Amino acid sequence: MTIEKEGLSTAESLRKTRTHGKFRCHNPTCMERIQPEKGKKTAKCPTCGMEYRVHWVNPQLPRIRGPVWEVNRKLAETKLKEMGVK
Amino acid sequence: MESMGKVLVINYEKCTGCRLCELVCAVMHDGISNPTRSRIKVMKWESEGLYIPMSCQQCQDAPCMNVCPVKAISRDEELGRLVIDYDVCIGCRSCVAVCPFGAMSFNSIDKKIFKCDLCDGDPQCVRFCEINAIEYVDADDVSLLKKKDAAERISIAGKEAAALAAQV
Amino acid sequence: MPLDRKIAYIDLTTGDIQTKPIPLDVRKKFLGGRGLDAYLLYNHTEKGCDPLGPKNTLMVSGGILTATCASATARTHIMAKSPLTGLLGSANMGGFFAPEMAWAGFHHLVIKGKAKHPVYIYIHNGEVEIRDARDIWGKSVTDSQWAIREDLGDQEVKSLVCGPAGENLVRFANVMTGIKNSGGRSGMGCVLGSKNLKAVAVRGTMDIKIARPKEALEYNKRFIDQIVSAKVNQTQGALGTPFIWGATNSWGGVRCRNFQYNQCEYADDIEPERIDEICEETMGKYHMTGCFGCQVHCRAQYKIPSGPYAGTYDEGPEYTSQGAFGGETDTPRAITVLTGNHLVNKFGMDNLETGSLISWAMELYELGIITSKETDGIDLKFGNDDAVIEMIDRICFRKGWLGDTLADGGIAASEKIGKNSFNYLIQVKGMSNLHSDERATPALALNIATGSRGSDHLRSRPAIDLYHLPEEVLRKIYSNPVPYDGPLSSEHTEYIGKPWQVFWQENCYMGVDCLGICKYHTTFLGATLPNFEDWSKVLYYNTGLEMNPEEIWDVAVRCNMIERLFNLREGLAREDLKKGDMLNHRYFDEPCRRGAIDVVGRKIDKKKFIQMIDEFYEHKGLDNNGIPKPETLKKLGLKNEPSHLV
Repeated sequence: MTIEKEGLSTAESLRKTRTHGKFRCHNPTCMERIQPEKGKKTAKCPTCGMEYRVHWVNPQLPRIRGPVWEVNRKLAETKLKEMGVK
Repeated sequence: MESMGKVLVINYEKCTGCRLCELVCAVMHDGISNPTRSRIKVMKWESEGLYIPMSCQQCQDAPCMNVCPVKAISRDEELGRLVIDYDVCIGCRSCVAVCPFGAMSFNSIDKKIFKCDLCDGDPQCVRFCEINAIEYVDADDVSLLKKKDAAERISIAGKEAAALAAQV
Repeated sequence: MPLDRKIAYIDLTTGDIQTKPIPLDVRKKFLGGRGLDAYLLYNHTEKGCDPLGPKNTLMVSGGILTATCASATARTHIMAKSPLTGLLGSANMGGFFAPEMAWAGFHHLVIKGKAKHPVYIYIHNGEVEIRDARDIWGKSVTDSQWAIREDLGDQEVKSLVCGPAGENLVRFANVMTGIKNSGGRSGMGCVLGSKNLKAVAVRGTMDIKIARPKEALEYNKRFIDQIVSAKVNQTQGALGTPFIWGATNSWGGVRCRNFQYNQCEYADDIEPERIDEICEETMGKYHMTGCFGCQVHCRAQYKIPSGPYAGTYDEGPEYTSQGAFGGETDTPRAITVLTGNHLVNKFGMDNLETGSLISWAMELYELGIITSKETDGIDLKFGNDDAVIEMIDRICFRKGWLGDTLADGGIAASEKIGKNSFNYLIQVKGMSNLHSDERATPALALNIATGSRGSDHLRSRPAIDLYHLPEEVLRKIYSNPVPYDGPLSSEHTEYIGKPWQVFWQENCYMGVDCLGICKYHTTFLGATLPNFEDWSKVLYYNTGLEMNPEEIWDVAVRCNMIERLFNLREGLAREDLKKGDMLNHRYFDEPCRRGAIDVVGRKIDKKKFIQMIDEFYEHKGLDNNGIPKPETLKKLGLKNEPSHLV
């Protein structure tokens, strides 16, 4: 039966697609992989212009801590204006 | 110089209290899931978030070995552990009474004493503990590792003191 | 046979206790945990029973893998008719309770009736005893547990308890164990309170046989390697679940000011890294803890750094507390989140429901729908930290008009408050939404609208939909173990293919809930985590039960259908705003105002949303009204429910 079958499960084989040292832009349509400069505290997405504060979980594992509030708020307001939302 | 062999080193600060060590210990030795069969036991102070795993220290001058009236406990020099000869053991539990760490236990289901045997050199508690709260290291290295830890703390304290001094 | 495990039937009115084995054919149909609980609930409650009456039946269980050598099988499941929603009540918690109950000889409890005075149930190595709890009644969640240990003279006893909120019949009271493990949603603690049942205490030293110990041990290692190597779990193990809130807030997917904004700005003080700093300052470098047998250790330890509770030890906060007491109420201050988290843990009350209702009341106050007369003078404005903390206390102890009103849950409160207050209540099936905002993510919106216990992210959320995984990766995940060749889209804003993803996740989560495994160990937040194929092996090595991945899938579909049957019996109707699979109008009418550029301006397209529900029903085998087709019931072997097999 299937249980005795050895080898990798689907989930295990999917693990091979991982990347290190980068994170993806939080703008969901952008999702560009951003490689922050080692140890730097902010990073700007080269594609869509959103800006993030960076937290280093360990020297190899950066993650987005949060937006640079002023920059991203401005981008949001411009977008709202463009869309004509009150 | 002859090596003392490897020993279990427990860093309780790292322990998350998950008790996986207890589970795998029982399954490894008895093929059964039941923490009361485990050779290692995590003692907990839940209201303070403190967890301390307790296991056999494989003492040099071992009270269990000394007290055993039928000499059923002996030292296995190769693995640096104390072993029980179940053919000789009479189940009097004197060893359970004298062990200062509570590491000698009595299994009331099988009516047998039991203790850590270092899984014949591949301790499962160590293998499964992802955060390395239990490690299996050369006995000679233990104090060296502790020295390094302590030195690191002193170094951090030194830097903090310097930073404070700089602020004043 | 390693599957020699039992159910105890306990009648609190008569004191009658019966113990029965769980037949193998029942195991094969429902496995255990939540699935078997759903079957028991459907069979052991009468249609329309009063959720706070003696006829409501309370189920407590571990999964089929609980206390075996599988990884992270700590979950306890609790089920009953919900006093909050009048529909399915279901809660799931980690900790150390379920394994201990298994070693005490039981995998399932079915508790009926109502005790004459406060009692607790004590289960010890196959024996069940009902004991006096009059001296324990009134105590906090942790004090109750320590008092039970004193009463029994055994420090190893594990208990699940209701806190003061459950005793006061707050409709969203938790069942709790340990410091903060919470059977959180749908008011299961309230059901305990209504039965005069303060706690269930367990202690066991009985053997659980492992079918193939060597393979089980080796497979557990492989499973763990897979789990801890996932990036998402490494982050969880370092920052706990707050990292989810941080990330979601960053792109604009959390509720703020009830539902006015989709991002809580300048939330630096409650971002995961800040919370982590406080944990480190108060508890040292190693401040993460975990549930039984789990290597993810996602739970932080902390002491409240300042304020009236300074120095008090607690665990968490989970991302739900950040959202409930920081984001929704627009009080992004660590001290408020940590204190709020401590209070709900102490009282045994659902943080999600509590925070949601407070933020709803805040919006009503700002709109003038309620005034300082109803709030007893509290200035219930957004951003008022003291008001948030005060309201938590008032709800638990039903103090003041508003505290008492909110304690009855959102729908009852909206009926009492009147005017158009209901329009502002963000709920599904009578349960408040968690703090997330799904306007930019149709798949997630479908999930909360159709969740069996009301608005909920833990029933069918395809969280990986936000990762923009390539279509071939999505297909690998979502066409396993049953084939699917319909559309799938990597685009999170899309509506196509999402109903299948939600249906697949619903079965995936039912799978782990039947096995007793935590959701962080499956396709929830990480795309590379174990599911059906891996479970099939773990199940075989540990219990000897041979079920291929497709058969486990079938069990999950069946158990989800039983939950649906229960809800239909209790009055679920597709488009009923209070009891159906429908969202608040604001999802369709009000666009997102904050967050990532792409999220700004998004709202759910109602027409497409309704089409998604149609499609979701089709996958489930329901007709257009959400009622199972006869052939579906036949296929799932549910034609003759209730069938009273156990």
